[in-house]
Amino acid sequence: MDQTEAQLRALMLAGLAGDAAAHRALLGELGRLLRRYYARRMGFGTPEAEDLVQETLIAVHTRRATYDPQQPFTAWAYAIARYKMIDHLRRMKVRPSSPLEAASDLFTDGGAEDLVVKRDLDKVLAQVSARTSALIRDVKVEGLSTREAAQKHGLSETAVKVAVHRGLKALTAKFGGAGEN
Amino acid sequence: MKTDDLIERLTSDLEPASPWWVTRRILIGLGSGAFFSALLMIFWLGVRPDLMDAMTGTMFWVKFAYTLACSAVLAAALIRVARPGGSMGSLAWSLAAPFALVGGMALWRLANADPVIARGMVMGDSAEVCPWRIAVLSIPILAGAIWALRGLAPTRLVLSGLVAGGCAGAIGAWIYAFHCDESAAAFVALWYTAGMAVTALLGALAGRRLLRW
Repeated sequence: MDQTEAQLRALMLAGLAGDAAAHRALLGELGRLLRRYYARRMGFGTPEAEDLVQETLIAVHTRRATYDPQQPFTAWAYAIARYKMIDHLRRMKVRPSSPLEAASDLFTDGGAEDLVVKRDLDKVLAQVSARTSALIRDVKVEGLSTREAAQKHGLSETAVKVAVHRGLKALTAKFGGAGEN
Repeated sequence: MKTDDLIERLTSDLEPASPWWVTRRILIGLGSGAFFSALLMIFWLGVRPDLMDAMTGTMFWVKFAYTLACSAVLAAALIRVARPGGSMGSLAWSLAAPFALVGGMALWRLANADPVIARGMVMGDSAEVCPWRIAVLSIPILAGAIWALRGLAPTRLVLSGLVAGGCAGAIGAWIYAFHCDESAAAFVALWYTAGMAVTALLGALAGRRLLRW
């Protein structure tokens, strides 16, 4: 613990002075620690946990000037990590969303990308047929189950699965695989 | 996006960060709020016509010092709670000192006064408007404080809002003292403090919603 504190604090102070390499090393090390921290609380390998890792790294970066060098660095970073998790849980309570399925790489970016992704969603979905677009929206964005979507559109569950899968595949091919996580 | 790519993007053109960033931003927020608050006081209520005479008496300076001391302690507290994990710490006790001084002065004077006059000391001529006017004058300052906090990183939102409101209220009360011609310590201890408390409460309510980041 003391060793981590000394090491991270040194990197932080160098980063605050403008040393980009130290700052990069700090975010990398924090990323590993945060992944473990959120995995223990949100479940290992869940998209939420990785989103929180990224969101916290962005916060650590953009608000780094709020670190007071007189105080322990780990306490500062921990306060941000904890705040981001509480904020996340608070948001979930207001607007529960169901977990995305594994194939939906295209839409699970999260973090700072979220807004951009939402804004661009319409543009992207315009590239496939109206029915496929509606299915992708219901299943991957609105969070309906395959069964619910099937009932809504009067299709079989298999047809929904196939249409969504093919639609996503076509979109991924068209826009490149930049969404891999 | 992969986390490694994110880190690469964040750190690509890194600028040094100023150690005074938090303090500066809070002072800018409070200062510009206080500027508008002073304008509001001048055009809405007006500076007391006997200001020059009043400045030769003690009570003007008691009001001046009480509100300014509260402002300073709460501004220092604001700088603390604006940082992740920050709390008021011992500053909560420092706040008790100016209040105890003015409160002690008030009690001492009340104890030595005729009961009819004592009532006049407590209520003055403007007890029913004083806290509300202070609260209204404090709103621009509270807005400035919230603007400042939104660019910083408070993790205890209600506490941060409370401190922001208290600080805005204290500065607002300081500005109000240039209009108000009440001259009893009891009046200041009660109604000025009430004005700060109202603003602090307003800040706590606003904090929960407006300070999320």
